[in-house]
Amino acid sequence: MKKPGMHAKEIADKFLTYSILIIVSLIFVFPCFWLVISCFSKSGDMYSFNGFFPSEYSLDSFKLLFTDTVMYNYISWFTNTLFVAVVSSLLGTVLVILTAYTISTFEFRGRKALMKGALVLGMFPSFMGMTAVYLLMTQFGFINSHLGLALIYAGGAPMGYLVQKGFFDTIPKSIYEAASIDGASNFKIFRSITLPLSKPMLVYTLLTQFAWPWSDYILPKLLLKDKSLWTVAVGLMSLPETEFARFSAGSVFIAVPIVILYFCLSKYLVNGMSAGAVKQ
Amino acid sequence: MKNKIKKLATFFRESGKETYASMAFMGVGQILNGQFGKGMLYMLTEIAFMLYFGFTGITDIIGFFTLGTNKADAWAGIVGDNSVIMLLRGIFAWIALAGLIWMYISNIKDAHFYAEEKHNNKMLPSLKNDISSILDKNFYKAALFLPLLGVAVFNILPIIFMILIAFTNYGGKIVPPELVDWTFDSFKKLVVLGELSQSFVKILGWNLLWAFASTLFNYFAGLGLALLYNKKCVKGKAIWRAFPILAYAIPGFITLLAFKYMFSNGGPINNIIVDNGGQIIDFLGINSKWMARGIGFFINAWLSVPSIMLLATGVLSNINNDLYEAADIDGASSFLQFRKITLPFVIFSTTPVLISQFIGNFNNFGVFFFLRSDVLSDGYFLASDTDLLINWLYRMSIDNNYYAIGAAISLVIFAITSIVSLSVYVRSAAYKKEDTFR
Repeated sequence: MKKPGMHAKEIADKFLTYSILIIVSLIFVFPCFWLVISCFSKSGDMYSFNGFFPSEYSLDSFKLLFTDTVMYNYISWFTNTLFVAVVSSLLGTVLVILTAYTISTFEFRGRKALMKGALVLGMFPSFMGMTAVYLLMTQFGFINSHLGLALIYAGGAPMGYLVQKGFFDTIPKSIYEAASIDGASNFKIFRSITLPLSKPMLVYTLLTQFAWPWSDYILPKLLLKDKSLWTVAVGLMSLPETEFARFSAGSVFIAVPIVILYFCLSKYLVNGMSAGAVKQ
Repeated sequence: MKNKIKKLATFFRESGKETYASMAFMGVGQILNGQFGKGMLYMLTEIAFMLYFGFTGITDIIGFFTLGTNKADAWAGIVGDNSVIMLLRGIFAWIALAGLIWMYISNIKDAHFYAEEKHNNKMLPSLKNDISSILDKNFYKAALFLPLLGVAVFNILPIIFMILIAFTNYGGKIVPPELVDWTFDSFKKLVVLGELSQSFVKILGWNLLWAFASTLFNYFAGLGLALLYNKKCVKGKAIWRAFPILAYAIPGFITLLAFKYMFSNGGPINNIIVDNGGQIIDFLGINSKWMARGIGFFINAWLSVPSIMLLATGVLSNINNDLYEAADIDGASSFLQFRKITLPFVIFSTTPVLISQFIGNFNNFGVFFFLRSDVLSDGYFLASDTDLLINWLYRMSIDNNYYAIGAAISLVIFAITSIVSLSVYVRSAAYKKEDTFR
C-alpha cells in the first residue's frame, strides 16, 4: 500500500525526532551535569574554573563540607532541616489525610463551602500573611524555633488536600456501606478499612511533606535569625561565589535523595499536578 | 425571608421553659431536660467566655477600633500601646465572639430539640452517648477539628490580619511604638499619580505580560514535548523522559542559584567569552533589562515545562485508542488525527492546569528573587525592572517594612488571580461534575 517515497520521509522524520530529543535532553541535563562536576573542583572557587569545567579535580569539597564547619556549618543545617522535615511530615500527613478523607467521604453541611473556601484561600499570594505569621510567632515565642517552623508547614498542609481527596474518591462507597450495615462506627471504618487501603497514599503524602522543607527558603529565612539554626536552603543561599564547589556539593548531597524520591513517585506526581499544584 | 421570620415566631411560641432557660444561661435548659453532663459543659463554656471577655475580650475589641491611644514615652516612663498587637488581639476577640454566638445558638437549638423529644417520651442520649457519636455520626466534626484549627491559625488569621493592615498606615516610620491608624492611604498611593503608582503600573504591566507569555510558552512547549515522547518511532521513552523529570525533581532554589552563578560576571559563560577575547557581558546587571527578563523567561521554562510534559503524558495515555483505529479505517492522515483527536482532547482536559499555571506564573517569586534581588532600578520605587508584583511585595514588606502598602499590593494580586481563576473554575466541568465518577 505504501508509496515508495514514504521510506525516505520516515527516515527524515526519525532523524528530526531524534535530533530534537537529543537537544532537549542536553538542555535539561547540562545544568545538572555542571553542578555535579563542580563538586569535584579542587580549589572550590568559581573564578578558577576553566569555562564550565573545574581546572583540577578532587573530593575536597565534600570533605570540607562536613569537616570545615566554622564558617558554614552544613552538618547543623542538615540536622535542623531533618528535624523540621520529620516533624512537619508526620503532623502534616495526619492533618491532610483526615481532611481529604472527611471531605471525600461525608456529605455534611458546609462541605461545598469548605471546598470553595480552600480554593479562595489558595489564591492569596503565598507569603501575603508572612508578616502576620512572623508577628504571631513572636507572640507564641516561636522565633528561632524549628518546632514553630514545622507547625506552620503542618498547619498549612491541609490546603493541599486535593490529591489525597482524589485518591479517596476512588475507593468505592459500597465498602463503607457494607461495613456500616455490619455495625462498624465511622471511626472504626476509617481505622480498619480506609487506612489499610490507602497505604500508598500515606507514603506519598509523608514523602512529599518530608521533601518540602528541604526546598523552601522563604519561611526559614524569615523565622530563623540565628546562623546556627538555619536550614540547608538558607545556608546554601548564603554562600559566596568563592565557595561555589561547597555550594554544589551541598546541593548535590540533598538533591540526590530528592531526585530518587521523585522518580519513585512520578506516577503519583502526575495526579498531584492535575489537581492543581504548581512548582514554584 | 418572610418564612424565616414566621418560623422564628412559631419557634418562640412553641418553646417550653427549657428553651428559655437556655437563652438566659447556656446549659440550664439541658439540665432541666435531665442532660446533666452536657448542661454542665455548656455552663462551663459560658463561664469561660465570660471570664475571657471580662478580663481582656472587651478591651481587645475596643482596642481593635482605636488601635491604641497611649503613645509610649520613654522619658515619662509610659509603656504605651502596641497597635499591631492590639489589632491581632482584636481579631482574636472577634473570632471568640463569633464562637460564643455560635455556641449560644447551638445551645438554644439543642435545648429546644431535646425538650420536644422528652415530651414525646423518648430516651435522651447521655453525655456518654454524645461522646461516642463523635466517633461515628459526628466523626467528620472530630476529624476536621485539628486541620481547621491549623488552617485557621496559620492561614486564615494571617490573611485577615494582612487584609486589615492594608487599610492602616502601618509601616515605614509608623511602626510600634508609634501608633497606627485606620486609613485608605495605601490604595490611594497606588492609584494617585506619584512614584509609587508609576512603579505599580509598570510592574503590573510587566507582570501580566510575563504571566501570559510564560504560561502559553510553557504550556505548548510541555505539550509538544509530551507528544514528541509519545511518538511511535521513539524507542526507550522512559529514558528520554527521565531528563526533564530530573530537572523537575531538583529543588527549585538549587537550580535557580546555579543559573545565577552560570550567568554571573565571574561565571562560566563570561569566562568563556573573555577567554575568546570578548568583553564581559553583564547578563543580570542593572542595565540589562530585557536580557535579564529573557533569561528569567527561559529559566522559568526550564523549571516548569517538565511538569506540564508529565501531566500531558498522563492525559495522552487516557485517550481511547478506538478513536485512532476508526480514523485509520476512514483513511485520515496522521496529521489530521492529531488535529482532530489529540489536540482537542488534551487541551480540553488540561484547561484547569492552564489556570493554575497562570496563577503560578503570575506569582512566580523565585526566578527574579534569585537572579536579581540585589538590583534596584531607576524609576522604580524599591524594585528592579524585572520584579513581578510578588517580588515588589516582598521588598516592600519584608525588606523595607512598608507593611500597609505591601498588604494593599497583595490584595491587588489576589483580586486579579481570583477573578481570573474563579470564573473559569466554577464554569469548568471538573467542578460541576465533581461526583460523576463515584
